[in-house]
Amino acid sequence: MSADKKWAMVIDLQKCIGCDACTVACKAENRTPPGVTYNIVITEERGTFPSVTRVHVPRPCMQCDRPPCVQVCPVKATYKMENGITAIDYDRCIGCRYCIISCPYGARYFDFGLDYSQEMVGCNEVQAPEYGVDRGKREKGKSPIGNVRKCTFCYHRLLRGEEPACVEVCPGDARYFGDLNDPESVVSKLAASPRAFVLKEEMGTKPRVIYLK
Amino acid sequence: MKNSERLTKAWYGVLVLLMALGGWAIIERIRVGLVATNLTSETTWGAWVAFYIFFVGLSVGTFLLSTMFYVFKIEHYEKIGRDALLVSIISMVVALCFILLDLGRMERFWHTFRYWNFTSMLAWEVRFYVIYIGLLIAELYLSMRQDLIRVAKGTGWQAALARFLTFGSTDLSEESKKRDHKWLKILGSIGIPIAIFGVLGGEGMLFAGVKARPFWNSGLLPVILVVSALVASIALLLVFYVIRTKLMGREVDKEMVKSLAGLLAFFLLIEAGMEFFEFFVGAYGLQDTELATIETIFQGPFSWLFWGIQIFLGVVVPLFIFFNPRLKESVNAITLAAILVVIGILGVRFNIVVPPLIVPVLQGLPWGYYYPSPVEWLSSLGIVAFGLFLYTVAIKALPIDTVEELREGK
Repeated sequence: MSADKKWAMVIDLQKCIGCDACTVACKAENRTPPGVTYNIVITEERGTFPSVTRVHVPRPCMQCDRPPCVQVCPVKATYKMENGITAIDYDRCIGCRYCIISCPYGARYFDFGLDYSQEMVGCNEVQAPEYGVDRGKREKGKSPIGNVRKCTFCYHRLLRGEEPACVEVCPGDARYFGDLNDPESVVSKLAASPRAFVLKEEMGTKPRVIYLK
Repeated sequence: MKNSERLTKAWYGVLVLLMALGGWAIIERIRVGLVATNLTSETTWGAWVAFYIFFVGLSVGTFLLSTMFYVFKIEHYEKIGRDALLVSIISMVVALCFILLDLGRMERFWHTFRYWNFTSMLAWEVRFYVIYIGLLIAELYLSMRQDLIRVAKGTGWQAALARFLTFGSTDLSEESKKRDHKWLKILGSIGIPIAIFGVLGGEGMLFAGVKARPFWNSGLLPVILVVSALVASIALLLVFYVIRTKLMGREVDKEMVKSLAGLLAFFLLIEAGMEFFEFFVGAYGLQDTELATIETIFQGPFSWLFWGIQIFLGVVVPLFIFFNPRLKESVNAITLAAILVVIGILGVRFNIVVPPLIVPVLQGLPWGYYYPSPVEWLSSLGIVAFGLFLYTVAIKALPIDTVEELREGK
């Protein structure tokens, strides 16, 4: 994969049906423990009866270009990769959770070490190779337990030429993924649309997840 | 004498009991991790962080007081100057215990020295702590040096310790005394800006710099931290002084207590005024998250912490005592007021840390809820008891009270 790629995601809110398939696909792909959900769908009801609509806003990590989490991390455990993804080095993170505090999107979660062993046999046998690192079994006292975690844009899938799980699974095709460095890419074109906006623009975070009204 | 011995034993007994309970809680926390707490990914900082900033504040406050006594030669208060330095060091130890416990991966605490993110307030804080603690120890040592030499001439384990600490020096000359004072003044002058802007200002920036939490994101917050730290420190020094003097059967310097109480009332009023504007400016902006945070503080399930402890016990009652013509003459009433002030400031610290983490950053995200778990309570009690234990041992082992004063007392 060439280094000049700058990944971004476009989410078309007109196409999102609020099915939460992305949330489920993300949990399955990244095998996140209870309490850690890289992607969620926020549902808002607007208007009063009889003119009521529901708006669904999927919320992954915004992979900000000016990320407050990177700004505050005392040990540089969280940092920007050249491809635009905000990464966490699980072997460096001390678990102070300052980044969780500073994220304006609530996109970061602490791994308290819980698991689904009550619900599922063998849930700890394998972990997602996040950031392309195979960590083997999920074991007590080993990272990422005790670390902060968040959406990685499915970097491990990108490495093998696949889209993030949430993009692949979306039944309404509401999510687009691609290279913002390439002006001809679908995401570049959509990002230039007058419908395009980002969450909490006033925070100055410059998110790489762009929404279409 | 018999009575005081029994009291000492009881005191140590209580401390050891609390430390044992705290020790169990800490072991539990190490064994199972942060699930032992009631923290969540929403309300991710809680009691430990509140105690941590409380004790950092206490440390800086007591240090500022003691250096002001030395640098500006306010001899009136020099009696408690050395005590203040000791409290300052111990507060810092206690604060670091709290924050260590709060780390998700405690064993990696050294990463904060090894890797340095220039833009992180926390990274700067850690480095300032090291410089600051070094300075505190040097100051305390210099202020005690003369008395250590005097003690070293005696017998017993205290004398042996003093002989070790003086490295065999017996220089009691006027000249050496002057040199000590000069260095105290120099270190104090370096220490004051480091303590205000580095240690406590950085502490304030830690919160004020977080734009995602509008309640914190205010230029006044670091200043409030400094002023409220001074308030808590004056109050605590007053309490320690009165209790210790009474227990030793010496006479309380009533004039000093009364003037400390005046100083306390002065800073308490300033702090209350600042808090008023902090809330007023915040609410006047009509920003949703800010309003929701203020509503959480005023009307949430823990609003008693604000109205009952922070305002009524922490400000109204003490001010009533300080301004009531009868009560302000009573050392006991003043001491009670000072205790209430300290508890009030602890409330301030909890209300700085927790409520902004209850309100979600995006509409539609879950609201947080937090009340410390038994492990958090017990470990906190244990750590505070550990601090008191260190204090008790230190005032026994080191000449914290000036030797001349002891002679006068006898």
